[in-house]
Amino acid sequence: MSDALQTALQNTFSPETLLVILLAAMFGLFVGAIPGLTATMAVALMVPFTFFLDPVAGVAAIVTMEACCIFSGDIPTTLMRIPGTPSSAAYVDDAYALTQRHEHQKTLGVSLVFSVVGGLIGAVFLIVAAPQLARVAFEFSSYEYFWLCVLGLSCAAIVSRGSAAKGLLSLAIGLLIACVGIGSTHGVPRLTFGIEQLASGIDFIPAMIGLFGFSEVLRNVLKPAVQESALQAAAAEARFGSRGWLGAAMRDVFSSAIQRLKRSIGRVLTSSTIGAFIGMLPGAGADIAAWVSYAVSKRRSTVTEQAEYGSGSLQGIADATTANNASLAGAWIPALVLGIPGDSVTAIVIGVLLMKNVSPGPDIFQNPAQLPIVYSIYLTFVLANLLLLPLGFLAIRLGSQIVRVPRYVILPLILMACIVGSFAINSSYFDVYVMLCMGLLGFVLERFGVPLGPVVLGIILGPRLEETFVQSLTKSDSLTAFFSRPIAASLGALCIIVWLWPLISRLIGKNRRSTAAVPS
Amino acid sequence: MRREWRSRFQWLGLLLYALSAGCSRTDSYPNRPITLVCPWAAGGGTDRVSRQMGIYLEEELGVPVNVINATGGQGVTGHARGLLARPDGYTLSMMTLELSMLHWRGLTHLTWQNSEPLMSVNEDPAALFVRDDSPFNTMSELEAAVRDKPGDLKASGTASLGAWHLALAGWLLSFDRLPTDVVWIPSQGSAPSLQELMSGGIDLVCCSVPEARSLLDAGKIRCLGVMADQRLALPGLDKYPTLKEQGSNWTLTGWRGIGVPQGTPPEIRERLVTALRRIVSGQAEVNGQTFPAYMESEGFDHTWRATDDFAAFLAGEDATFGKLLGREEFKTVRSGPIGPNAFPLVAGCLALGSLTVIGVGAARRMRAPLPADEPAAEENSADVSSVESGESALTQKVAFGCVIIATGTYSLATDSIGFIPMSAILLLGISLLLRAPVRTAVLLAIVASPIIYQIFTVLLRVPLPRGLIGW
Repeated sequence: MSDALQTALQNTFSPETLLVILLAAMFGLFVGAIPGLTATMAVALMVPFTFFLDPVAGVAAIVTMEACCIFSGDIPTTLMRIPGTPSSAAYVDDAYALTQRHEHQKTLGVSLVFSVVGGLIGAVFLIVAAPQLARVAFEFSSYEYFWLCVLGLSCAAIVSRGSAAKGLLSLAIGLLIACVGIGSTHGVPRLTFGIEQLASGIDFIPAMIGLFGFSEVLRNVLKPAVQESALQAAAAEARFGSRGWLGAAMRDVFSSAIQRLKRSIGRVLTSSTIGAFIGMLPGAGADIAAWVSYAVSKRRSTVTEQAEYGSGSLQGIADATTANNASLAGAWIPALVLGIPGDSVTAIVIGVLLMKNVSPGPDIFQNPAQLPIVYSIYLTFVLANLLLLPLGFLAIRLGSQIVRVPRYVILPLILMACIVGSFAINSSYFDVYVMLCMGLLGFVLERFGVPLGPVVLGIILGPRLEETFVQSLTKSDSLTAFFSRPIAASLGALCIIVWLWPLISRLIGKNRRSTAAVPS
Repeated sequence: MRREWRSRFQWLGLLLYALSAGCSRTDSYPNRPITLVCPWAAGGGTDRVSRQMGIYLEEELGVPVNVINATGGQGVTGHARGLLARPDGYTLSMMTLELSMLHWRGLTHLTWQNSEPLMSVNEDPAALFVRDDSPFNTMSELEAAVRDKPGDLKASGTASLGAWHLALAGWLLSFDRLPTDVVWIPSQGSAPSLQELMSGGIDLVCCSVPEARSLLDAGKIRCLGVMADQRLALPGLDKYPTLKEQGSNWTLTGWRGIGVPQGTPPEIRERLVTALRRIVSGQAEVNGQTFPAYMESEGFDHTWRATDDFAAFLAGEDATFGKLLGREEFKTVRSGPIGPNAFPLVAGCLALGSLTVIGVGAARRMRAPLPADEPAAEENSADVSSVESGESALTQKVAFGCVIIATGTYSLATDSIGFIPMSAILLLGISLLLRAPVRTAVLLAIVASPIIYQIFTVLLRVPLPRGLIGW
C-alpha cells in the first residue's frame, strides 16, 4: 500500500502533471466563468487530448478543471446575475443582491473559501468511505429517486420568498417548460404547437440565462441612467483605496469568509455531507445538491436570518456552494467503486479510465497496478482545491473590475454574453429565441413578485420526476410500492414531514410562544 | 476614469489587429473550419467518437474540425441540423442508428437518403445483460421464462421505442412473442438502466457491450447474448456468446458513421473519403497514435464501411426497422400506466390553481388596502418612484423595446451576415441607446466583437456564424 502511495505521489507531483494541473485549473476557471459553457463541456473539450496524456495527468486535469469550473461559475452569477454553470442557479438572487450593495468581493470570497472547504471535505468522503457509501447508491431504484425528486421540488416552497402560491406558480411554469418536446418517457412530442424545433425540448441553459441574465438587462434598461452611473462611480471611488495593495485586497475578499467559516463549522459539515451524498447518486449532481443544501440552510436559520434568503444571504450562498463543490468528489464514488457514473463528468472519466486500461469497479482497490491511479485521484482532489484558493482569488480580483465599468459598456456586453452563451450550448439560434422569451417571462414574473428559482428547479427536476414516477408505476401498479423499500419509505416520510412542516411548526410555535410570552 | 478607459481601448485595438492578421483565404476545399454535428450529448459514446474523429480529420484536412452537440428529440435535432445544412462540405454529420428508425416512428421526414453516406466507423451490437445473481444463464432459459410468464420480466436500456428497446422487441418477435411480453421501463440511457438493474428494480438491460463494460469486468453483471452474427472482435470481449450460437437469428447493431448532406459536390466527397479512409484504416497518426487504437482502447468496435458499402448497409437497416416498426403493436404502444398528457395536465392545473389563489388574494387586498409589506409591491413602487420625469420613462420604454427587437433581429440575421459585423452593430446600437459617448460605443463595437469571436472559435472550439465575408 505504501508503495502504491509512493508511486502516486511521484506521478502526481511530477513536473509534467503539475503543469497539466495548473493549465487545467486556468482553463476550468475560464470556461466556468463563461455563461452557457458547463463543466461537462469543458471536460468534453479536454477528452480527446487525454488520449495522448498519461493516465494520471489526464485524470488530474479533469478533476482540477471540474473543481475550478464549478467555483468560477459563481463569478458571473455574482457580478452579472447570469449563472456561469447550472450549479450556481440556486443562489443567484442572493449573490446578485449583495453585488448591488457593493459587497461582491465579500460574496465571492465566501463563495471561494466555502467552495474550497466543500471540495476538501467531499474529497475526504471519497477517500475514507467510498466503498461503504457506494453500496448505498446501489440501493437507489426508481422509487427512491422519485421521492428524492419530490423532496427536491418541495425545496421550491422553502427557498422561495413571499407567498407560497407564487412559489407554486413558478414551479408549475418550470414543470410545464420541462414537458415541452419529445421526452424519453413517452417518446411522443408534447406541447410543441407544431414548431419543429420545439420537439427537442427547451434547453435548460438558455432558459436559465434568459430568466436571470436577460431579464436583468431588461430591468436595467428601464432604470434611469443618471442615478445608476452616479452610484457606480461612487462605488468605484470607494473601491479605489483598497486597489492594488495585496494585503488590503485579500482582507476585502477573505476576512468575512474566514470569520464565517469559524462560526459555522457544523453547517459546513452538514452541507458537505448533503453535497457528497447527492453527488454520489447517479443522475443527481452539483445543481441539485446546491438547491437542497440551500433549502436546508434556510430551514436551519433563525426567523430574522430567513428573511435574508433570496435577497442577499451570505450564509445561504456559503452552504449551497459548499454542497455543490462537495458533490463533485461524491460523484466519483460510484464511478470508481462500481463503474457507474455519478454525473456526466464522471461518465466521461470512466471512458478515459477504460481508455487507459484502468477499469473502474471493486477491483480497482485491490489491483496493485491500479491502486496508484486511485491515490493519484485522491491527491489531485486535495491539490486542485488548494490550488483553487490563489487562482480563484486572482479570478475574483480580475472579475470584480466589471463593477467599475460604466453601464453603457457593461450592459451591451452582458447582452452579448447572454446571446453567445445560449448559442454556444447547441450552436443554435433557436436557443437564443428561447433565451429571449425566457427573459421576458422572467421580467414579467419578477414584476409581479413571483420568484424565479422554482422555475429553474422545475425544469431540472420535472423530467426526472415524471420518468421515475412512470418507471415505478410500470414496475408495479400499486401505490404501496412507493413505500415498500426501506430507503424509499424513509424518504417518502421525510417528504410528508416537509409538506406538513408549516402545520407542525405552527403547533410547536404556539406552544413555545405561550411558554415564552412572559420573559419577552 | 474616462481617460483610463480610452487608453485601455487603444491597447485592445492593437491586440485586435494582431488577431486579425492570421486570417487568409484560399479557394481549394477545405479552407475554413469544418463542423461535425454530433446528435448526442457531450461525454457520451457518440460524442467521444466524434471528438476523436475531429482530431484526426483536423490532422488530415489541415483545418480546424469543431464538434458541436445538437441534442434532443431522441436524435432528430442533430441529424436534421447536420443533414439539412448547406451541402458545401463544411458541415459533417455523425449519423447514428436512430437515423434508420426515427422516420418510421413519424418523428421526422429525414431518412438516410437525405445524406451522402461517406464512412461508417463503428458497429456495436446490442446485447442482453442480467445481474450476476440472476437465475438465467442462457438465452434459451430467458426465452422459456418469457413464454411461461409473459409480462413478468422487466427490462430497460433507453427511452421508450429507442434503439435498444427495439432490439429487445425484435428478439421477442423472432420467436413469436409480443414486444409487450417483457415490460420496457423507459430510462435516460444505459447508465441509469444499469443502476436500476443493480438496485434490483429490473431483470434485464439491453444495451451495447462497451456501455456495460466496467460492470461486466467487475463481475457484477453477466452478458447472456450479443445480437450479432459473430462474436465481438476485441480482445477480452470475444468470450460473450452470440444469439446465433444459441439458436436465434435476431441481430441488431448500433452503428455510427459520417455523412454529408445530399447534394455535396463529388470532388469534396472524394476528398473527405480519402481522409476518412486513411483514418479508419489506421494510416493516419496523431502523436504516434491511430484512430483504431483509440477505438480499441475505449472498447468500441472499429469495423468500417466506405461509401457504397455503407449505403447498402443503411438501406438494409432501414428495411429492418420498417418491418419492425410497421407492426400494429408499435403503432399503439403505450409506455406505461399513465399517458403522455397526464403530467402536463397536472402541472397546468397547478399553475391555474396558484394563479387563482394569487388573483383572489390580490382582489381581496384591493378591496381592503393594507400597508405594502408584500415584496412585490415594494419592488414595483421602488421601480416606479425612480422613474421621475415622463420623458425619460418614455425613452426607457423605447429602449426596452429596442433591446428585445435588436436581440430578435440579431438571431435572424447573424447566420447570413456573420457574427462579427452583427455583434458590432448590436453592441454599438445598445451602448448608444444607453447614452454612451459615441467614441466609446464605436470602440466597444469594433474591439469586443472580434475578441469574443476569437475566444469562442479558437480557444473554446465553438463555431460561430461566419456569414458573407467569412467572419
